[in-house]
Amino acid sequence: MHISSTDLGLAARVQQLTKSYGSGEGEVTALDDVSVGIRRGEFTAIMGPSGSGKSTLMHIMAGLDAPTRGRAWIGDTEITGLGDLELTILRRRRVGFVFQSFNLVPTLDALGNILLPFDLDGRRPSALERARIDGLVESLGLGSRLRHRPHQLSGGQQQRVAIARALATAPDLVFADEPTGNLDSRTGREVLTLLQTASREHGQSIAMVTHDPIAASHADRVLFLGDGRITADKPRLTAEEISAYMLAAERGTAVTAAGGAAGRDAAGRAATATVATASAEVPA
Amino acid sequence: MTAVAVDTRMPRAEASARLAWLRERGMGASILVAALSSAFGVVLISATGFIGAMLSADPYVGDSETLAFVLSFLTTLLVGVAVYVAAIVTANTFSTVVAGRTRQIALLRLIGASARSQRGEVARQGLVVGVIGAVLGLVAGTALTAAGVQLMTALLGLRGVSYAIVHGALLLPAAIVALTTWAAAWAGSRRVLTVTPLQALGGSVEASHQTIAHRTARNVVAIVLFAIGGGPLALGIVAGLYPPLGVVIAFAGGIFSFTGLALGATLIMPPILRLVGRAFGSSATARLAAENALRYPERSSRMAIGVVMGVTLVTMFAVALESVKAVLTMSGGGVLPTEMSTLIDTFGAIMMSLVAVSAVIAGVGLVNLLTLGVVQRRRELGLLRALGLSNRQVRRVVLLEAAHITIAALATGLVLGIAYGWAGAQSLLGSVPIDPVTPRTMNFVAPAVPFWPLVIVVAATALLTLVAAVVPTRLATRVAPVEALAE
Repeated sequence: MHISSTDLGLAARVQQLTKSYGSGEGEVTALDDVSVGIRRGEFTAIMGPSGSGKSTLMHIMAGLDAPTRGRAWIGDTEITGLGDLELTILRRRRVGFVFQSFNLVPTLDALGNILLPFDLDGRRPSALERARIDGLVESLGLGSRLRHRPHQLSGGQQQRVAIARALATAPDLVFADEPTGNLDSRTGREVLTLLQTASREHGQSIAMVTHDPIAASHADRVLFLGDGRITADKPRLTAEEISAYMLAAERGTAVTAAGGAAGRDAAGRAATATVATASAEVPA
Repeated sequence: MTAVAVDTRMPRAEASARLAWLRERGMGASILVAALSSAFGVVLISATGFIGAMLSADPYVGDSETLAFVLSFLTTLLVGVAVYVAAIVTANTFSTVVAGRTRQIALLRLIGASARSQRGEVARQGLVVGVIGAVLGLVAGTALTAAGVQLMTALLGLRGVSYAIVHGALLLPAAIVALTTWAAAWAGSRRVLTVTPLQALGGSVEASHQTIAHRTARNVVAIVLFAIGGGPLALGIVAGLYPPLGVVIAFAGGIFSFTGLALGATLIMPPILRLVGRAFGSSATARLAAENALRYPERSSRMAIGVVMGVTLVTMFAVALESVKAVLTMSGGGVLPTEMSTLIDTFGAIMMSLVAVSAVIAGVGLVNLLTLGVVQRRRELGLLRALGLSNRQVRRVVLLEAAHITIAALATGLVLGIAYGWAGAQSLLGSVPIDPVTPRTMNFVAPAVPFWPLVIVVAATALLTLVAAVVPTRLATRVAPVEALAE
């Protein structure tokens, strides 16, 4: 009965996860009995419209929030039930974060921000980690920017510093929350390519929350969320396929709203069918 | 009458919304600061007046004009220092409040409000805060005086001392406090002018370190005051040979040079803050704390100078009186009459506790500065918590931030206090023959640093640091990473 995440080849997983806010009449369910795993070495996108529960899922998986019911693991460590300090240290050592904006501490320069997880841990990077950081700085083109403070960097540069920081500790999992949301499309593509490279060439497990089909099309796997449930789990898709699925799901919801509960399953099937058709037309 | 009529017609909600800003963080503290300095002024003026009445009722002492003059002079000086520190605190608070309101001001600018009208609005709020505080202080101070007079009359069994508790002069400190609060709010709201409508649209990254505005005029005034104060101070020390000329000249020099130092806070304090910050070491918490104090160097410097003034004045009195005692002991052949020793100690204790009121006001300002700093840094704290800053580390950062300012202020204040105290003693007693063989030559009065008063100063500063960190620490540890990141 004891199946560990490692056995399953997972970097993180959640089991029967439910998160609700408020109580009684005003109760809102953000996540409804979700079970899913993030595969090791893969770049996974978590897609869904606003309010679908994708951010809540990420926050619980990353140890930033506690679920109402259910369990969550990072690697083989069960994080549900851990105390605040244990969770903090776990995030520091085993999770990397890239947020949409306000990623960097304004008073520290780029290097200070990259080294922050080590500094918070009260240690210097080992020779191996040092080499890794040097490599990251090099490949992210940050060499000449290390002594700049965040306000002296462009949005893309700030995001690259955040990526360097997230990858520096070689964490079990990197969580990226709308990492391209504040960037122009070209810079956004660069950032996505960097994440893709980290996963492909260095086997870094990455989970990215986004509502942008183009961003999600860079991922190896796309999870779709709607109304707090996983509605689809697809291998690599093109941006067109993702848009098509989302449009279908959106129309399905509209049908549900208009025609009652009966329309729901039909809409779900229709959406899945659309994706299948699209996949057949455009081979990955 | 018209205004009243308009007010009554106004819907209730609108009227309460117009005063909603009073509940904003920082306003309560500004009212407290104004009330403290106003009450202090009222109590001191009353105490001086009462002592005067007591003395004139004494058949043996009668009217002593010199004593009355000295008392009113000291009152003016002490109240002046308290009001000055209060003004610094208020200006700081308002500049912090304005920084927190940037988005709101930018939105109003976007809609079409002029920067000047926005700044005027902030200053008007300062006037309201000042008036409320001054009136509260006036009432509290008068009540304290009434209680004190009753107590003293009963304790000392005074008879025939006629002293009117409520009199017009008490309005003076209250009025001065209300006006300086207004002026301080105006001075602190300068940043309103730099807010652009575009900032309402967000997305701009906050500059890590606000550059100190190059206010050449003020810096020149500060340096000139320091220079013209330094001359007489040195002269007074030399002229100590011809009493009482020396101490008078030195006193004038001391006032000028100290005002120069206070005005030049942004020139003096940042290097000292940087030095202290470096001494904290290179751990993440130490660096975060050290950088935070320098994020708004102007604010931190002004805050520190408030504490510096308190520490300097207490130390100055302690050192000067101890040195005087040392000299008198020596010239008296090794013994100081007990009565004289008690008199000097009593005078010192009274002066130091009166100066301590200014230190309390500076303390309120420090609490306020740290609290607003935490409130305005919620997102950053949320980010740090997400990245792995533990709650214990959050506590350390806030405590170190408080310690950063108090340690820098304490060190500066101790050095200045010992220097000024020695200058005072030297200019006063340079001619007292220590060695009977060579009379009337310039004697060197060694600065005597009393142990206990300085221990009390250091302990009080340490206590201030701990107390100042309580509220901001509670706020900072309550920041949940998710909540802060969602903003």
